[in-house]
Amino acid sequence: MTWLMRRLTPGGFLWLMVNEIRLATRAARQRRGGNIIWGLLITVYTAMGFWLASNLAQIPIYPSALALNLVLAVAVLAMSFMTTQAMLRSQDTLYQSGDLDLLLTAPLSPRRVLLAKLCGIVANIMMVFAAFTLPIALPVALLGHPGLFGIPLVLLALAMLSACMGLAITLAIVRVASPRTARTIGQIVGAFLAAGVFLASQLLSQGPGRESAGRTLLDWLMRHDYGSQGPASLLGLAAFGHFAALVAVLGGALIAFLGAGALLGRVFLVSYQNAPTRLTRSRGKAKGGIARHFRQGLFATMLAKEARLLRRDPQLAFTIVLRLIYLLPIALPAFTHGRGPPLLPALAFFGILLAGQLAGSLAWLTVSAEDSPDLIAVAPVEKKAAGRAKLTAALLIAAPFALVLPLAVATVSPRAAIIMLAMTGASALAAGLVELNFQRPAPRKQFGRRREGSFLVGVLTFLMTGVLALLGGYLVWLSG
Amino acid sequence: MSDAALEIRGLSKSFDKKVVDDLDLRVAPGELYALLGPNGAGKTTTLRMAVGLTRPDAGAIRIFGVDALADPLAAKRLTAWLPDEPMLYDKLSPAEYLGFVAGLWRIAPAEAAPEAERLLKWLELWEQRDTPCEGFSRGMKQKVALAGALIHRPRLLILDEPLTGLDANMARAVKDALRAAVEAGAGVVVTTHILEVAERLADRIGIIAHGKLLAEGTLADLRAQAGSDALTLEDAFIRLTSAPQ
Repeated sequence: MTWLMRRLTPGGFLWLMVNEIRLATRAARQRRGGNIIWGLLITVYTAMGFWLASNLAQIPIYPSALALNLVLAVAVLAMSFMTTQAMLRSQDTLYQSGDLDLLLTAPLSPRRVLLAKLCGIVANIMMVFAAFTLPIALPVALLGHPGLFGIPLVLLALAMLSACMGLAITLAIVRVASPRTARTIGQIVGAFLAAGVFLASQLLSQGPGRESAGRTLLDWLMRHDYGSQGPASLLGLAAFGHFAALVAVLGGALIAFLGAGALLGRVFLVSYQNAPTRLTRSRGKAKGGIARHFRQGLFATMLAKEARLLRRDPQLAFTIVLRLIYLLPIALPAFTHGRGPPLLPALAFFGILLAGQLAGSLAWLTVSAEDSPDLIAVAPVEKKAAGRAKLTAALLIAAPFALVLPLAVATVSPRAAIIMLAMTGASALAAGLVELNFQRPAPRKQFGRRREGSFLVGVLTFLMTGVLALLGGYLVWLSG
Repeated sequence: MSDAALEIRGLSKSFDKKVVDDLDLRVAPGELYALLGPNGAGKTTTLRMAVGLTRPDAGAIRIFGVDALADPLAAKRLTAWLPDEPMLYDKLSPAEYLGFVAGLWRIAPAEAAPEAERLLKWLELWEQRDTPCEGFSRGMKQKVALAGALIHRPRLLILDEPLTGLDANMARAVKDALRAAVEAGAGVVVTTHILEVAERLADRIGIIAHGKLLAEGTLADLRAQAGSDALTLEDAFIRLTSAPQ
């Protein structure tokens, strides 16, 4: 990329675009980590693609009604994820990127900057979806089905449309909410979208017919035959390499892309100029004394600080809740009447696992994600004592949530509730101790994107809480 | 002889190369000592070792007679550290931050709250006491951090570039705070790139380069060591640091 940039006119659109793509690829590489593992996975996946392609080489693949509807269904699902990703990326661009001050004080039009940023968002989306799609699609296209070279182009068009929609949603949120709250709201909306699609797919797969969300959508499209006629068929035809359809899809995406740049450029600039820098988050005029902020002893001080930090960062709290939402499908089989495991042991398993994960997340935040580690380090406090105080704070914050299920179970079976309580405590404590003893420190703000730290520690926490949850479920089952 | 506020003997530290090399330093109680040096001279590493953030390879550090390596907690009770990047929590207000710092140093609320109020008023932060620090300017953040450093009434204050990025009023407030601490008998060590500050503020100045103390003393001493009584501190600094080692 740097090589390419050296050959482009500095400050020109292409130069800016390549710079954005370079930043997006580097950020993805940094986020992903473990290049060797990823390289191996992609290699294996591509080998599978070639194996599949060699088997399909002699079989004609043509745009049947089923195939066209299938492409449309996949495109709709993919776009829901792409738009969520685009929203999150555009919020990063508006509120977290450190380069906008530089770009907007340079002699460049905001529209050009916005378009370049949109290209970065497209690159970011493409990298994720291309990794899933192209190792299969390209070998099949290469070995006898050249029409399928349309797939990467359709993917590009979808990414461009999603980037426009994601940015438009972000800017709309900025207009409706204040610029400062827009980031939090946007991330929560984006997360809800992703979690909603995920949960819907899981609930459907638990339903009477046990269909997947994709299958349900496909059935619906087939019934109405949306995918094989009218403008909606263009996507499928383009994916199969139909030239006119490709031109229409890519042309439409390009027009939307350039239109978004032109229409949203001004809104983007105004929203950026209105983004707060100083003293915008005053909670009204200060009044009263300050004695209420002072606590006796290390533990009370730590608890007050951690509770305040968590309360004031709804995005962070929501990220933790979101991770727990992704665990919900584990509990769903318990509610499939007659077909799943017994309800109480399943609830015990789920509650104990959930408590462990919640406590682990909070322990990571309090123990490892310390914004001012040097302040703690220079304080006359033993490292172990500070760690213990932080861990206790995490467990106390987690307790009201972790106790909901055991208390609910107590109304049905006090014996099961006592077992759940004991195992919930053990699970939370085990997760917290793992974080306390093995986790790597990282800045708190990184938790918003992903839980930084050792992958192995995450696996260890999950395994330990899983084993305790299994044991708890078994004991509840034994208790009758 | 009474205990020094800070006494460093034979301090050494290497990372990929020698950063601090057999350094000796003594700061008396009631003295403001300015540590000057070019970029990469080893100033920050020296101070980080003094406050217990970096472990020295060799040497001894005593703070008011307390061996900081053998009994770090006792040494930390006496010390405050103010780095160039303030150690703050964006989501906490100044009052909450001071409450947290006071808790870390185990200052009783009855003692800490009035002191916090005094500091916030003195540093002109009282009106913003309940506003989260995240929207503050750099100068205001630095003042909050300074209040945090002072709330436990340290006997040794160690500050790394405390005036960087501050406007004249805020810089004045910080300098007043340092002078007040010195007059109250505390030892103060500052690093600064602003030589005028060292010239006006410091009782003694140390010049460090390549991890070694090249010269030390009052401004007159440094001029003499640089070879001319007519030199400014800037001239003396350049002459001393550019001399072949």
